[in-house]
Amino acid sequence: MYSDLFHALPDVFALTNFVAVVIGVIAGIVVGAMPGLSATMAISVLVPFTFGLEPLVALGLMAGIYNGAMYGGAIPAVLLRIPGTPAAVATTFDGYPMAQKGEGGYALQVAVVSSAFGGIASAFALMLLAPPLSKVTLLFGPSEVFWVAVFGLASIIFLLGGNPIKGLISACFGVFVSVIGSDPIYGNDRFTFGQLEMLDGINIVILLVGLYALPPVIDLLETPLKTGVNSSKLGTESMWKALPRMKGYWKTWLRGSLIGIWIGILPGAGGSMAAFMSYNEARRTSKTPETWGEGEPEGVAAAEVANNADTASALIPALTLGIPGTAVAAVMLGGLLVHGLQPGPMLFRDNPDIVFGFMWQFLFGAILLILLGGSLATNSFARLLNLPRPLLGSVIIVLMLIGVYSIHGRMFDVYLMLGFGAVGWVMDKLKFPLPPVVLGLILGGFAEENLRLALRIGRGDWLVLFQNTTSLILVALTVAVVVGPTLKKRFIARRKAG
Amino acid sequence: MPENRTNRLLRPETLTALGIILVAAGFLIPSFELRAISALLPAAMLLGLIVLSLALLLSDQRKAGAGEHATPMTQSPKRVIGAFALVVAYALSTDFIGFYASTAVTIPLVAWVFGYRSAVGLAVATCIVVGTIWLIFDFGMSQDFPTGRLWQN
Repeated sequence: MYSDLFHALPDVFALTNFVAVVIGVIAGIVVGAMPGLSATMAISVLVPFTFGLEPLVALGLMAGIYNGAMYGGAIPAVLLRIPGTPAAVATTFDGYPMAQKGEGGYALQVAVVSSAFGGIASAFALMLLAPPLSKVTLLFGPSEVFWVAVFGLASIIFLLGGNPIKGLISACFGVFVSVIGSDPIYGNDRFTFGQLEMLDGINIVILLVGLYALPPVIDLLETPLKTGVNSSKLGTESMWKALPRMKGYWKTWLRGSLIGIWIGILPGAGGSMAAFMSYNEARRTSKTPETWGEGEPEGVAAAEVANNADTASALIPALTLGIPGTAVAAVMLGGLLVHGLQPGPMLFRDNPDIVFGFMWQFLFGAILLILLGGSLATNSFARLLNLPRPLLGSVIIVLMLIGVYSIHGRMFDVYLMLGFGAVGWVMDKLKFPLPPVVLGLILGGFAEENLRLALRIGRGDWLVLFQNTTSLILVALTVAVVVGPTLKKRFIARRKAG
Repeated sequence: MPENRTNRLLRPETLTALGIILVAAGFLIPSFELRAISALLPAAMLLGLIVLSLALLLSDQRKAGAGEHATPMTQSPKRVIGAFALVVAYALSTDFIGFYASTAVTIPLVAWVFGYRSAVGLAVATCIVVGTIWLIFDFGMSQDFPTGRLWQN
């Protein structure tokens, strides 16, 4: 089962593939360090540029960015009390007080080592758990695949928290967008309104860039944030001197890694939840909980290890079932599709070198964090915080246009992307979740094709969807995911009342 | 205190729900011309959007009735409208005038309008970005960018 994993290793060490991971990690740290920019946004902007690249180069860049950005978010969290990414909120609790005491350099070193530890643990979890799960899913027929898609959508809508009506609207929108274009079986046009550009459907990259890249740029221009960091006052010492001081954090690292991996696997949860849970657990079990919040380095370690431990593990359900655990994983699924790699069980059978190579890239990306996020680099990355945001915004706008235009070499796609961007901005402001839209687009066509195939096998009888045990289990899981949160709320309310 | 009727209809969520209902209803019309099996999923999604938006509208109006004020979508609408307008103008000018000319104007213009006023910084940044794009995409990858519809015969 794991032999393919080791067969893929030599490809990862090919120069271009390795360099891609290095560039990805550096780019990820830069993006993560800029408040308002996120890994999701960076990967969305990157995906169209990877069309002409070999799949492992493209995936290496993505893996590097994801790992790098999760750590990068800690830089402004520690130095400015502004989390660079949502997952770095818990890092501010002790990171900023440490910076106030002149220990900002050490806080960032703890953050980078903890991030690397979490990333490595997560990559191992991906390597160990994904292959057996993919073997199981290989046994699925059309009706089971249909129910997997329904379960995936239901999980991301209902487990994401927030307003389920908004989640459902997002998912319906995504699924509707997925059916635009030619009908996959009869070939007739659906909702193209005579536009030849839409016959092949809506390219996922156009949607990703519009939804995930344009709204943050508008935010960047909307709120001129004054930042300023004097990196010479960080108090950074050599990493070799700092490492022995961290040896007492191993329990926190292990616990945080397990929490992060588990949260990553759960659809809809994400790095910020993992960081909060890990921070709370570490504080609860600490012998000196009173020092937490006032500059306790272990607090930084707890938050950072967990928000990096959910990176690769979020890809376990994504790669095996096509259900992403986080928004970034959803965007990465889009990146896989761009290279003709359909997430799901067939991915492991048809492209083992690529999928297992991708896992190795996650592991190396995490290890590279320590080398690239060392003291000298940390000082340089801290200086990035002084970059003027309006200038950054204008450069991202240009990159978005180039990326989307280069997909088919036509301006129609750019206008379409702007339309999705406007929709994405409204959704973002009104707190409509965005991951269900992406998942709807990815799973919509997939679900429709398998539903129609199942109905053909069953000669039009809808009961074919419920005629085997796996389908029934998936239906039961879907019902549990839909009804579960409501029942839990009622149970808690009753307990409080009683 | 509950809002008056006009204000209640102008709440962002209410307006969004109404917008979704109208657009989804509009898209439903062409779905009648499709084969039943082809229209199944899109029609289900459009009907779902209409029903869910109605639910959203009702819940928002209930909140308005209970005196809950809607949070504004932005603190600085002028900046947001300006940002969107500049992005759209950039796309249009790329289409009609050409990529390089539009980019050379847009980078400093957007940065200047939104608060970065260093002339030297703007000039240097514009040269670096436009130069790098030309070097990587045009020279290195032979990527063709729009040359401008206005200049085409």
